[in-house]
Amino acid sequence: MVNPVLLIAVPLGLAFAIPLLGFISQKLEKYIPPVAMLFNLIVSLSLIPKVLEQPIVVSIGGFPPPFCINLVAGPVGILFSAIIALVGLLVSIYALDYIHPVRHSPRIDTKLSNGVKEGATEKYHMLYLLLLTGATGVVLTGDIFNLFVFFEILCISSYALVAYLGDRAGVESAVKYLIQGAIGSSLVLIGVGLLYGLFGTLNMADIARNIDSVSPISVFVPLVLLITGLGVEAAIFPLNAWLPDAHSSAPSSISAILSGIAIEVGIYAVARVIFTVFGASSIFLFLVLLGLLTLLVGEMSAFSQNNIKRLLAYSSIGQMGLIIFALGMATSYGVVGGLFQIISHSLSKALLFLAVGYMIYRTGSMEISSFEGMGKRMPFTSLAFTIGAFSLVGLPPFVGFPSKFLIVRAALAKGEALFIVLIALVLAGTVIEGAYFFRIVQVLYFKGGETNPNRREEAPIAALIPVCILTILIIVIGVYPRLVTGILNSAASEFLNRVEYIRSVLG
Amino acid sequence: MSFLNNYIYYIGAFGLIFIGLYIILVKRNLIKVIIGLSILDTGVNLFLISIGYVKRGTAPIFSRPGIEAARMVDPVPQALVLTAIVIGVAVLALALSLAIRLYQHYGTLNLRKIKEQRW
Repeated sequence: MVNPVLLIAVPLGLAFAIPLLGFISQKLEKYIPPVAMLFNLIVSLSLIPKVLEQPIVVSIGGFPPPFCINLVAGPVGILFSAIIALVGLLVSIYALDYIHPVRHSPRIDTKLSNGVKEGATEKYHMLYLLLLTGATGVVLTGDIFNLFVFFEILCISSYALVAYLGDRAGVESAVKYLIQGAIGSSLVLIGVGLLYGLFGTLNMADIARNIDSVSPISVFVPLVLLITGLGVEAAIFPLNAWLPDAHSSAPSSISAILSGIAIEVGIYAVARVIFTVFGASSIFLFLVLLGLLTLLVGEMSAFSQNNIKRLLAYSSIGQMGLIIFALGMATSYGVVGGLFQIISHSLSKALLFLAVGYMIYRTGSMEISSFEGMGKRMPFTSLAFTIGAFSLVGLPPFVGFPSKFLIVRAALAKGEALFIVLIALVLAGTVIEGAYFFRIVQVLYFKGGETNPNRREEAPIAALIPVCILTILIIVIGVYPRLVTGILNSAASEFLNRVEYIRSVLG
Repeated sequence: MSFLNNYIYYIGAFGLIFIGLYIILVKRNLIKVIIGLSILDTGVNLFLISIGYVKRGTAPIFSRPGIEAARMVDPVPQALVLTAIVIGVAVLALALSLAIRLYQHYGTLNLRKIKEQRW
């Protein structure tokens, strides 16, 4: 058995080896992130059968929990680390060539094309790998302060990556993101401090065991602080003003990672705090309403956008709302649906951003209207975009269908009139989502295009491989949802059954 | 007075936290906002330290005989604060370097004038 510590240690070590490697060979460094993520993916997948029987708890430093910092590689942790490794691997393959787009088409200035400047790529690869390390650390750790530290690794590298191009929009959104993120993490730290003051421990399982021994009022303040602080990264409704700017001004490969991984990890942290640490069943209804509000605000803002990347960013907010809605139902169907939706959103949104990256690069504009005739100019990329969009809307046979179906079924299984009204509103949000995605697909295929029908400008092969793999995964998981339901079911029961979690960590 | 005596660190910590938040929310100059972030950080760090503080306590080291564990200050919050300080410095450095870049692009640090990105 491979020790789950390596899932964090290997990418972290390799991230810091990248600048050193730059002394030996400038060409080698861009192959480091794919190698590290391939390692993580293989290890995560090989750990799945083991984890389904019994969560792996690693105590670092040799002390038994709760005195050490421990890693808990349960079904949830391994599921998330596999998603992170998969999307990270594909996006880093995409970045192999996207890093030097100047070479392909010198006529477009780098600001518009969102390409990455040549020459400074080692910093990009290092920050990219650090971001993924932070994300993996957040989902694997069992210590709440350690969670904060890994969260900061994730956040700081994403601030830097948003500003990576150094253009006006990028720097401005990075500053916004940084200020909001820094306030959020200060709130998290105050919450962690209050919890330590109350319980004298930082181990999440140990806090969870003792949470009922103090009055509900005194745990309410740290709960609110933690949800607010982590909610900034998870893009919960009133806290998500940074997201459209940051996701739309970052290089497209980074937008894919931010949308496909970073906010999901934020959702994971919120869910872990609410379900496992606090077991706060009294706020589930609040969570459902918050999710619905986030969904509707996100979808309606997305509907009115003309900038493709801002549209995708707002659509991410909407999807996060749907996930929070599903998790807030706190039934087994609901949590399975929410986790399934996380997989579906990671794959589809990463695919959309990657496909859009080269369309923006070829046209030199982010306006949707400039993509007219793309269905003929870049047929494969357009097809991939269409599949990603249909999957997000929830059409069969793509992965978005079973996940949304489960969420609807969970709401109906609740059997309350309130939830039937709420799920109707969710479906109304989905209709809006369908409307704007079909509008883009219409622009791609049925508008313009007569001007230059024979000009084919497909994306380079290194970009097509990840797009192709993501497309295949979306269809395969959409047709055979049973591939993932096993791990999803045990992940949901890890969230819902906190007694089991406490027992597996503390013995 | 005993209230003040017992809780003076918490009052100070939350005073700094609220001053920091006030500066971030109200001030228009990016440098001042970054100073606000730094004050907020300091407040949080002071708060963490005061959680583990024991009045007239000693350092948590068994340096000489006769020291009881109950009279030692709690070392865990101090370790947390060390980490939090390092993270705070990283955020601060990044914020300042972004501020330099922002000034190069816009020629101003007034956040009310820097608003190309809109909803």
